[in-house]
Amino acid sequence: MLSRHAEDLYWLGRYVERAEDTARMLDVTFHHLLESPPAVEATAWRELVEILYLDQVFEGTLDRPTVSGYLVTDRDNPGSILSSVARARDNARGLRDRISTELWEAINVFYLELAAADLTLGVEQRAYALLGDIKSRCQLINGVAAQTMPRDEGYRFIVLGLMLERAEMTCRLLAIRYARLVNTGERMGFHAWVSVLKSVSAYEAYLKSHDASLDPTRVLEFLLLDPAFPRSVLYCLRQVEQQLERLTADGLQTDVGRAIGRVRARAEYCDVSSIAGEGLDSFLEELQTEIYQVADQVDLYFFRSGADLQLHTVQSV
Amino acid sequence: MHLEIRYLNEFRYSEPARESHNLLRACPQVTPHQTVVSYVVDTTPNAKIFSYVDYWGTRVDEFGVREPHDVLSVRATSIVDTTPPPKPDSVADLNEFDALRPDFVTYLAPSPHTRWDDAIADMGRKAIAGTSDAVFAVQTVCDAVTDHLAYRPGTTDVGVDVTDVLHHGQGVCQDFAHLAIAMYRSVGIPARYVSGYLYASNQDNAVQPDVAELEVQTHAWVEAFIPGHGWWQLDPTNPQPIGELHVKIGHGRDYDDVMPLRGVYHGGSRHDLGVTVTITRDRLAEPFAADQ
Amino acid sequence: MLQFDEIHGPDGVRPHYQQLMDRLTGLGPAELTERFAMLESIFRTLGITFAVTGHEEGLERTWPMDLVPRIVPAGEWAHIEAGLIQRVRTLNLFLEDLYVGEQSAIHDGIIPRWVVETADGYVREAHGIGVPAGARCVVSGVDIVRDGEGTYRVLEDNLRVPSGISYVLENRVAMTRVLPVAFARHSIRPVNHYGSSLLRALRSAAPYSASADPTVVVLTPGVANSAYFEHAFLARQMGVELVEGRDLLVDDHRVYMRTTRGLDRVDVVYRRIGDEFLDPLVFRQDSLLGVPGLAGAARAGNVTIANAIGNGAADDKGVYPFVPALIRYFTGEEPILPNVATYLCWEPDQREVILERMDQLVIKPVAEAGGYGIVIGPHADDETLAATADAIRDNPRGYVAQEVVQLSTHPTFIDGALSPRHIDLRPFVISGETIEVIPGGLTRVALREGSLIVNSSQGGGSKDTWVVDDAPAEGELSSTPTEGTRAVSPR
Repeated sequence: MLSRHAEDLYWLGRYVERAEDTARMLDVTFHHLLESPPAVEATAWRELVEILYLDQVFEGTLDRPTVSGYLVTDRDNPGSILSSVARARDNARGLRDRISTELWEAINVFYLELAAADLTLGVEQRAYALLGDIKSRCQLINGVAAQTMPRDEGYRFIVLGLMLERAEMTCRLLAIRYARLVNTGERMGFHAWVSVLKSVSAYEAYLKSHDASLDPTRVLEFLLLDPAFPRSVLYCLRQVEQQLERLTADGLQTDVGRAIGRVRARAEYCDVSSIAGEGLDSFLEELQTEIYQVADQVDLYFFRSGADLQLHTVQSV
Repeated sequence: MHLEIRYLNEFRYSEPARESHNLLRACPQVTPHQTVVSYVVDTTPNAKIFSYVDYWGTRVDEFGVREPHDVLSVRATSIVDTTPPPKPDSVADLNEFDALRPDFVTYLAPSPHTRWDDAIADMGRKAIAGTSDAVFAVQTVCDAVTDHLAYRPGTTDVGVDVTDVLHHGQGVCQDFAHLAIAMYRSVGIPARYVSGYLYASNQDNAVQPDVAELEVQTHAWVEAFIPGHGWWQLDPTNPQPIGELHVKIGHGRDYDDVMPLRGVYHGGSRHDLGVTVTITRDRLAEPFAADQ
Repeated sequence: MLQFDEIHGPDGVRPHYQQLMDRLTGLGPAELTERFAMLESIFRTLGITFAVTGHEEGLERTWPMDLVPRIVPAGEWAHIEAGLIQRVRTLNLFLEDLYVGEQSAIHDGIIPRWVVETADGYVREAHGIGVPAGARCVVSGVDIVRDGEGTYRVLEDNLRVPSGISYVLENRVAMTRVLPVAFARHSIRPVNHYGSSLLRALRSAAPYSASADPTVVVLTPGVANSAYFEHAFLARQMGVELVEGRDLLVDDHRVYMRTTRGLDRVDVVYRRIGDEFLDPLVFRQDSLLGVPGLAGAARAGNVTIANAIGNGAADDKGVYPFVPALIRYFTGEEPILPNVATYLCWEPDQREVILERMDQLVIKPVAEAGGYGIVIGPHADDETLAATADAIRDNPRGYVAQEVVQLSTHPTFIDGALSPRHIDLRPFVISGETIEVIPGGLTRVALREGSLIVNSSQGGGSKDTWVVDDAPAEGELSSTPTEGTRAVSPR
């Protein structure tokens, strides 16, 4: 497959996942704040912006209208939901021969509806419905992809992008919100934990495999290592590894194969009880760094053969 | 004259370049007055060179380097024997040029570097006023350029409009050549641009036949067509007849058709490039001596 | 001035249209209006649009196709086909002679050197770049008109990147859906083999060093290009990769695609970008659409660029008047399809006559495509004529003048009824080891009443074009199949 197409598919997966994750975390933050004292509001918004990796670029005030507008409708924010969906659609348009018609239509219709809707009003007045809608449209897109795309290279690049994005997101959630809750020794209110779990749709799944006591170490273990929960870091990394194994011509004996093997093993064989305390920050930091390295290697191995670089001309007398 | 010419072009990139592609025009042309004994070109990093002769009759060496590199060196070494071309003894009349038009449209039409304005055309007309002798007229136009322009190394990049060259009254050899060509064409005399080497020192561009080795730059002059004779070489930068110290690489409508090196690369925007040309005369070099 | 109508002759409906006209009459105006709406919705649903040039970006219109097909009877088609093959064969030979041959056509005085050397599409950098089998014009689109006497004449050759074939194929598909019965009642030559014919021709032009199974790609400027739809369509029809310049790279004078598994060798580039954008090393240095080193790879014999670089030397409007002479020179035959009478503004005596007869002639700039800048004398006001005369005096090389060819008319479905509109025809010719003409081609129709400008960018529409093998016997008319029940099986 052309590197350009693979890259567009990979980012298609990432953009859709990013839109969904942004919608969910925003939703959870809204509801968390409804039940929290006003004092924590700015902290909660700052953390959200940080989790979404936008803390370097966000410049507004940390309040509900500013942050939610920035995350949903702001076209100048490349990470906003609207931007993510628009970029996913741009990619899909150039991939019409590579993706199923159903997938194209699902993305196209989603974008056209978002672009036509009054999102500012939606966020203000019916955030729950709007964000719920966005989440389910993203899930629909993933579902349509899974149902209509042959399991070929193209599909694998979508899944690869989606799973890497998701692994990064869960990891950042742990590193920022979880770590802060633990490190500051803040009293672990029940609903703070619920909010962490809900941020990655993990609340119900957690209750099914554990009980409602919401022990921090158990929550950490679940979000990091649960082999069956599709948003745990380990689950995502295994998915990434699986896709990469099929996508690389030489199997995993490559830089990208070694990168994913390293980080997957780090997650898989970590001792949760020992890192849950002092070492948590540095563990999560290393984990994140290694996930970014996988993304860099994917970039180098599949996409970059110089095509992105600027073309310059020289002449001499 | 027996000359060995060593052309070296070194690119240094601010960040690694990749997928660089280049066209080199550095090989002396074979003419009745110029015999090429040998020509060797090589590059570092090593590249596979594809050579061909272009529309104008100039040898082109095309090569690319795909892998990232910080420096690209291009070396072209030629050994050439020259004899002075004869002066035209034609008694052609200026109005014979009209009949040439259909066959010489390429060398009569303006080209990117020779697009003339009224001032240039006026100067051309004035230069040839009062004569009908083609050879004399061609020499007079060349002299007019020599008189009008001051030689100022490094004053211009190629790309300066020839109308500005006239206005500023100074330039480098490419500007001298372009202005002369523009004037020739404006009065209906077919003219073309010549790229080559001249055994002359860099400082004053004066010919120095007594020194054994010189560091020079690539040079440019012109050819004008004389009915009954053919193309006649003239050097507006050095007001003396073209002799055995001029080594022609090739010709074209202007600089663009015969520029010594043209390239593209992927990478950072900054690059430094240094061209050195060393000419040794009367040295009986081994024709196929390997380069350093 | 004589006016030729394709359907209505002096003795009523021409025989090869009888069947179709009966069918259309039988359907009645209300039904036709419905079918016409169906046609529009088919193209809208398929998203078949074209960009209108000369307007702000993003203006797209649905492809306007007419309900009434044009019919070319087999006998007439045989004449057109033979004429096109002769013409394209000549132009291939002329280009080969010009760029890698002895330039004998110039030396022997068939065409003046200066006419070739000042042609806008003449490319000096193409000298010495060979093309296997001399197939320089792998795809040609030759515009043909029919004058007042009904004589087919060549108006223009398009040998660079002629577009429109996708519409021929889509028109046909749409027509089979909208008028299935009329379709089934005729023995219509198919067009849907275009993709495989093109692929075969491109492969046959692969470098001699290529493998037995050469890799072909379609090179597009990208999604923003007005003809991107066609580029994607052709890649799909041929089952080959649609690439942009950045997807390709040249290494050691060979061309490769960048893929997720490394570099894949490319043997033939069917490019849909102009010469000047093809290779920034040789042509425009600011072009980001091209591939550095591509021209050199072709010169080294490692890749074939189709159509070849420099074909514009043969489809230039200044070269056009010399094509009949070139046909005689290269083939020893008389031209089968005549040109439209053309005068050269740079010949002083012809220029004087042109300037006197401005109001009777069509003045064409030689470097413009798509119908821009054309002045039709009889329709132009004095001001325009004066301005054009000045332009000709300033730059005689920039213009040719032609006798007004009235262009035949064809009944066309306008506002619920059939009205005559002017049409032309662009058949597509494929040169590989042999030269093949796709039956029919793109019939373009000027939708404005009286207009002679058929270009889609200037308000033109199109018609499905049927080459019909023989008129069905009268008796067959009674055995009417039910609308929509019969599969289409031409021939």
